Amino acid sequence: MNNQVDISFDKLYNEFENRIKSLEKLPALKENTSAEKMLIEKGFSRRDFMKWAGAITAMLALPSNFTPLMADAIKVVDRLPIIWLHMAECTGCSEALLRSAHPTIDSLIFDYISLEYHETLMAAAGWQAEENIEHAMHKYKGQYILMVEGGIPTANNGSFLTIGGHAKKGLDIAKEASENAAAIFAIGTCSAFGGVQAAIPNPTGAVALSEVTHKTVINVPGCPPSEKNIVGTLMYYLLYGSLPALDAYNRPKWAYRLRIHDLCERRGHFDAGEFVENFGDEGAKDGYCLYKVGCKGPYTFNNCSKNKFNEDTSWPVQAGFGCIGCSEPNFWDTMGTVNEPLKDKLYNTTFSGLGADATADKVGLGLLVATGVGLAAHATLSAIKPPKE
Amino acid sequence: MNNTEIEYDDKLGTKRVRVRRMTFTMRLIHWVNVVAMVVAIATGLYIADPYYQSFIADDAVDKYVMAWNRWGHLIVAIIFDVTAIIVSYLFFFSRFEKHYLKILPTKKNIIEFGEVTLNLLTLNRRKKFDSSHSDSFNSVYFIIFHILLAWMLFTGLQMYVHALASGDSSIGAWWPWMLHLVTDWTIPFSSWLVGTTATGGNIMDVRIVHHMSMWIIIVWVVFHIYYQIWRTIFWQEGDIAIVVGGSKFMKIDKDGNKNIE
Repeated sequence: MNNQVDISFDKLYNEFENRIKSLEKLPALKENTSAEKMLIEKGFSRRDFMKWAGAITAMLALPSNFTPLMADAIKVVDRLPIIWLHMAECTGCSEALLRSAHPTIDSLIFDYISLEYHETLMAAAGWQAEENIEHAMHKYKGQYILMVEGGIPTANNGSFLTIGGHAKKGLDIAKEASENAAAIFAIGTCSAFGGVQAAIPNPTGAVALSEVTHKTVINVPGCPPSEKNIVGTLMYYLLYGSLPALDAYNRPKWAYRLRIHDLCERRGHFDAGEFVENFGDEGAKDGYCLYKVGCKGPYTFNNCSKNKFNEDTSWPVQAGFGCIGCSEPNFWDTMGTVNEPLKDKLYNTTFSGLGADATADKVGLGLLVATGVGLAAHATLSAIKPPKE
Repeated sequence: MNNTEIEYDDKLGTKRVRVRRMTFTMRLIHWVNVVAMVVAIATGLYIADPYYQSFIADDAVDKYVMAWNRWGHLIVAIIFDVTAIIVSYLFFFSRFEKHYLKILPTKKNIIEFGEVTLNLLTLNRRKKFDSSHSDSFNSVYFIIFHILLAWMLFTGLQMYVHALASGDSSIGAWWPWMLHLVTDWTIPFSSWLVGTTATGGNIMDVRIVHHMSMWIIIVWVVFHIYYQIWRTIFWQEGDIAIVVGGSKFMKIDKDGNKNIE
C-alpha cells in the first residue's frame, strides 16, 4: 500500500548521494573513461543521455529532480562487478539486450558495466574462460552481482548441463556463484521460473535458480525481459543498495505490478466488445482487441504496454499479435496454445497417450451430457417401471 | 419439528398434513440465487469467449458490450457474496432449521443418506425414511453447491483484485488488502488442480479452474432440477411447491403415523 509515501524524498536523495559517493571510492574497472564520455563517443548527445536518465528515473517511480542523480549513478555503474552465467537457455536474453537494430543506451550501459564473466561476450575461451570465473568469484567474493540466464537442469544430479573442459555441472556453478554473490538477479523466464525446458514433461528436471539456492533471487522474467527491466533492476540495486519490493513471485513490483491488460492501448476495444476474429480481418486492420485470437494480457503481469521494446518503438500487441504471457510462471504449460483463447485450451489428460486431450468447454459439455444421459435413463426407467403404489 | 399442521381429511381415512419447509427468507435467497446464476453463466460465457458480435453500425456508437457483461458478472458475484454469507449464517444459527445437524456423520444421518439414495436408485420402490423434513441427502447436496459457490467466489475475487492493482478501491484500501489475504491461496491450489509441474502458477490457472467449475455447477443445477421434479412426481407430496409456497404435504394414516414403510 502506498500510504506512507515520503512526499519530500529528501532523505532518500541524501541516501542515494552518499551511496554514489561511497561507490566512487571503489576502484574503477575501466580506466580513463566514463559512461557519459563513452556514450558521446558512440554518437549519443548529452541530451539523449539525460533523457534516458530521466526515463529510468520515472520508471523507478522517483521524482524528476532525481534525474541528475541517476546520471551520476550511471557513471559509477562500473564499480559493481557482475558475473553473468548461462545455464539451460537460448541466449535470447543477452541477445535481446545487445543485438538491437542500433546500439541503445541500455545496451551500451551494459557494455560499460564491469562484466567479469559472460560466455557470449568475453574474449577468453577454454581454460582461460574457466580461470576467469574462478578468479572473479574469488576476487569479488561477497561483492559481485550475479545475473543468471537459463533454467538449472537437476535430473541425473544435474549432468544434463556441463560447461567447460572440467565438465563442471551447471547446477554446481549456479550454487557456488549464488553462495558468494551480493545480489542475485534471475534474468529471463528460464532462470526465474524454469521456462521452456521446465515445461511438461521436463526431461532434464530444469528448475528456477531460486530452487537451487537458499538466497533471495530477484526474478526479472520475460522471454526475453525488456532491456529496461534488466537495466532498471541493476540501477535500483546500485542506488538503493538493497533489494526492491517484490511480488509473490519475487518480481520487482516497480516493473511487474500491473497487468498488460490494464494499461493496454487496445483496452477500449475490449470493453466495447470489439474483437479481432481472425488475423487479417477488418477488426485487425482497425486495431481491435486481440483477446479472441488468444491474447494472454489479462493474466500477465508486466510493463510491456507502458515501456514497450526497442526504445519505445513497439511491442507485440501494438504490432497486432496478442501477448503470450511469457513472463508468467509456467506459461508454456498454462498459457498455450499461443494464438487461441481459453476456450480452446488443451489439457494434458491421463489418457494423453490415446490423444484424449479435450478443450475446457468440451470437457464441461461432456460432463453435462453424461449427466443428461444418466438422468434420462433414470427418468425413463421411472416411467416404464412404475413402482408399486 | 413444529412446522406441521393438519390440512384436511382424506376419503381413505388418511390425513394430509401441510409441512412448512422453507421460510420466506430461504425462498427469497433461492430465487435471487437462481437469477444471479443465470446472469453469471450468460455473462461468464461471454467474458470467456465473446460469442456475439458487436459490429453494430460503425465505430462511433455507444457500445460497451464487454464492459456491460463484466459489470453484470461482477454485480451478481457481489449478490452471491451477500447471499453466501447469509446462508452460511443460517446454516448454523437458523431458528427455523439448523441444516448442519443433517450433515454431521452420525449413524442416523448416514442411514438416512443411504436410504434416500436407495429410494432414488430403486425408482421409489424402497422408501424407508421420513420425507416430511429436509433429509441428509438434500443437506449434503446443498453443501456441495455452497462449497462450489464459495470456490467460485474465492477464485473470482482473486481475478478481480488484480484490477485494483493500485492497492486502493472506491471503498478504501482495506478491500483489495483483504481480498489478497483471503484469496491468494487460490493460485497455488488452482495450479495443483490443473496439474502443471514447473515452479509456481499464475492467474491463468485460476481462470481455467473458475471456468471448469462453472460446468460442474451447471451439472449440479441440472440434477437438482431433475431430482426435485422426480420427487414431486413419484412421492406425490408436492415437493416442487416448497420453493414457491414454502410447504409440502405429508400423508398420515389413521393411527397418526407418517407414511413410512
